[in-house]
Amino acid sequence: MQDLKLCAQDKRGIHELEAGKDLIGWDEVTQGSVLPSFEGDASNVAHLKQEERCYSDFNSYTATVASWRVKKPVFNIDVCIDCQNCWVWCPDTSIISRDKQMLGIDYDHCKGCEVCVEVCPTNPKSLLMFAEQEDLETALSQWPEKKKKEK
Amino acid sequence: MAEKFDLQEREVWDGNYAASQAMRQAKVDVMAAYPITPSTPIVENYGAYVANGYVDGEFVMVESEHAAMSACVGASAAGGRVATATSSQGFALMVEVLYQASGMRLPIVLNVVNRALASPLNVRGDHADMYLGRDSGWIQMDAFNSQEAYDLALCAFKIGENHSVRLPVMVHQDGFITSHTAQNVYPLTDEAAYNFVGEIDPVDDMLDFSRPVTYGAQTEEDWHFEHKAKQHKALMDSVPVIEDVFAEFEKVSGRKYKRVESYMMEDAEVAIVALGTTVETSRVAALRMREQGIKAGVVAPRVFRPFPFDEIRDALENVKSVAVLDRSSPGGAMGAFYNEVSAALYTTENRPLVTNYIYGLGGRDFAVKDAMDIFADQKANADAGHITTDIQQFSGLRGPKLGFFKTKRG
Amino acid sequence: MAITSVKNLKEFSTANDRFEGAHTLCPGCAHSMIVRELMNCTDDNLVVTTNTGCLEVSTAVYPFTSWDTSWMHIGFENAASAAGGAEAMYKARKKKGTLKDNDAPVKFVAFGGDGSTFDIGFQWLSGAFERGHDFTYICLDNENYANTGGQRSSATPIGATTSTAQAGTHSYGKKEKKKDIVAIMAAHGAPYVAQLAPNKWKSMAKGFQKALETEGPCFINTVSPCCTEWRFDPKDTISITDLATDTLMFPIYEIIDGHELNILYRPKNVLPVEEYLAAQGRYKHLFKPENKHVIEEIQKNINEYWEMLQRREEARV
Repeated sequence: MQDLKLCAQDKRGIHELEAGKDLIGWDEVTQGSVLPSFEGDASNVAHLKQEERCYSDFNSYTATVASWRVKKPVFNIDVCIDCQNCWVWCPDTSIISRDKQMLGIDYDHCKGCEVCVEVCPTNPKSLLMFAEQEDLETALSQWPEKKKKEK
Repeated sequence: MAEKFDLQEREVWDGNYAASQAMRQAKVDVMAAYPITPSTPIVENYGAYVANGYVDGEFVMVESEHAAMSACVGASAAGGRVATATSSQGFALMVEVLYQASGMRLPIVLNVVNRALASPLNVRGDHADMYLGRDSGWIQMDAFNSQEAYDLALCAFKIGENHSVRLPVMVHQDGFITSHTAQNVYPLTDEAAYNFVGEIDPVDDMLDFSRPVTYGAQTEEDWHFEHKAKQHKALMDSVPVIEDVFAEFEKVSGRKYKRVESYMMEDAEVAIVALGTTVETSRVAALRMREQGIKAGVVAPRVFRPFPFDEIRDALENVKSVAVLDRSSPGGAMGAFYNEVSAALYTTENRPLVTNYIYGLGGRDFAVKDAMDIFADQKANADAGHITTDIQQFSGLRGPKLGFFKTKRG
Repeated sequence: MAITSVKNLKEFSTANDRFEGAHTLCPGCAHSMIVRELMNCTDDNLVVTTNTGCLEVSTAVYPFTSWDTSWMHIGFENAASAAGGAEAMYKARKKKGTLKDNDAPVKFVAFGGDGSTFDIGFQWLSGAFERGHDFTYICLDNENYANTGGQRSSATPIGATTSTAQAGTHSYGKKEKKKDIVAIMAAHGAPYVAQLAPNKWKSMAKGFQKALETEGPCFINTVSPCCTEWRFDPKDTISITDLATDTLMFPIYEIIDGHELNILYRPKNVLPVEEYLAAQGRYKHLFKPENKHVIEEIQKNINEYWEMLQRREEARV
């Protein structure tokens, strides 16, 4: 159901941000500390989806901040109305929307801020926070019922 | 297309005009500048070229020198040829961005018309601003007259823009003494000058959207050291490129430049090491000393950064006594130039005696007589086999004699 | 200019993000919402410059960059000059025909926080606007020096506590009014100046597009709630922004050519400012009886400013 593998390319979230990893010597660092964002010709990048791009290893797309998270948002596609509120307000480019449809969360880049849950207008919400270690099936099985409007 | 500018084979130009003509001939794409005495005429002259259609590039008159260098950095990363000019306080205001320009490896050319730093305020030439830039990671070349201000400015583009260098370059000339003194200058034709400088071939071009680049990333303790070391290596390794460019320039102009200019040093017993217009004064003094039978010579770094440690040593190792002249207030130490020359000479077999003269601050005149007195001191040192004066002295200063430190040798 | 459709969110969501995740801004930070939206508004080539600040230190930490466009940071104060320099080079190279693609449209954008915009970089900003560079300057206004731990800036409002204008037994926090940067930038005669907020995504997107399309220097002040220094739960970034716009603490409006003012959002129910203040830790001390007068003053300032905006809008001058 919510298989996002198609939308993630091999390089997504493969690097740790922390210092002390992948360190190289003075002879190998880039000239002028300049960082190219892509490999190959990237002229058309504004018209390519993330999974279609050739990111360089310097692009933070290839890094992960998953370890920042203590809680994670879980997406329930059955309740979602594809309003795209979560997409527009996600500060971490972690809502995967393709062709006007919300597909799920990019857990390599989500920091668990919960903004998406807050701005979700459905009843019940289509996004809810769960403990990081909770698996999807269990989370979905605990989804609340539609709340009656308070008078 | 720019209008054709009529040039004579021999022109009478001051240093500022000479530098501005080099900027025009190099077809600078963006000049972002702010006026300050004594470099203002470079910017004004360029403004006149713009107003009369002699340049195609953009002329951006900004609101401060800091903004001038900032705009130069933005422009240079956008892949074209960039130059500006400044002096003194304006240079000081630029300092933050000077480090950014070199750290990002952007080949900007900066004409520095040397002037003292306040306080007290002073508009005349000394080397305080030049010294302020000495750790900024720029190549620094020093012109002793108008012709050289023109020649070196052309060379500066070719050196800095070379892909194995990719560093910003300062061309220094002395405020007023060079910048405002009309002298004979033999310019190249526009065609010859541009052919010499050549087209710029951009690196990490911000306007090449097939390869977006990030400039100015943050590097903390895990990366900064490696980047600064790489940058330093590039500066040290610019030597052969500088030498090649000087050799090429000789071919088109007949004028020969070296990283260290030596004058009558073949058999010299005593020497003055100096920068700027003082070099020519000292050369005249050396001739006069030779008339008195004293084997005097003059050594002058043409390239102040990368510091010609090797060539300074080669030029001076067989001399008995050397005077290093610093035209900048040393601020509680020996003159910076003295320290650098001394460090080079300390690694020689003969270790000549080295003394330091602070002189010419705020444009105080330095006459042939002053240089002859300094040579005479050196001769006394040479004869005695040790330094007979204070190690640091002040030349041309009114009031009681001022000096610091005695030698522990001999 | 090639713009993305912002007719509705579904249309807008087809934009391909050019601001990547795994930057190190705080969870819930509004900066990245604003930056993402700007970059999703157009598919033109972008040259982005950024002053030192949270955005800069979080999006280009060697060896990573979150920018899928050309990007430059020089110093705290000079993103406007860098953008101006790059724009001048673009003009020069376009004329000479030395660009790799001489026809592709390019937009120049500079970002700064309120510290770099209102304070340390103000001269650079003002100079670039006077010179008329074709660029858009976007201030991410979180009303303090958040990157260095929350010191006062001239954008900090009266009554907020910051580490250098602290509330204490003898102080209610900052004593001085916030600098009116929008009016100041409009006074430069800039063709487009606006104050926008990320909760009103559509007016923000349209404002961004207008600024990018308009030739000459355009200025946009965006309210960027800072959960860390304003002291609220990161999940509440948008609801705090709602309170900011519904109490009129941050009115949403634009000024065209320095004089034509249009209000872009009129709350149906204008909320009392207490609701906005009470939602943030930085104003907590204002609810002590001895500081009640500060809340009254803030409300009075809001009312007067809103009145002024409405009258200017009516006057069309």
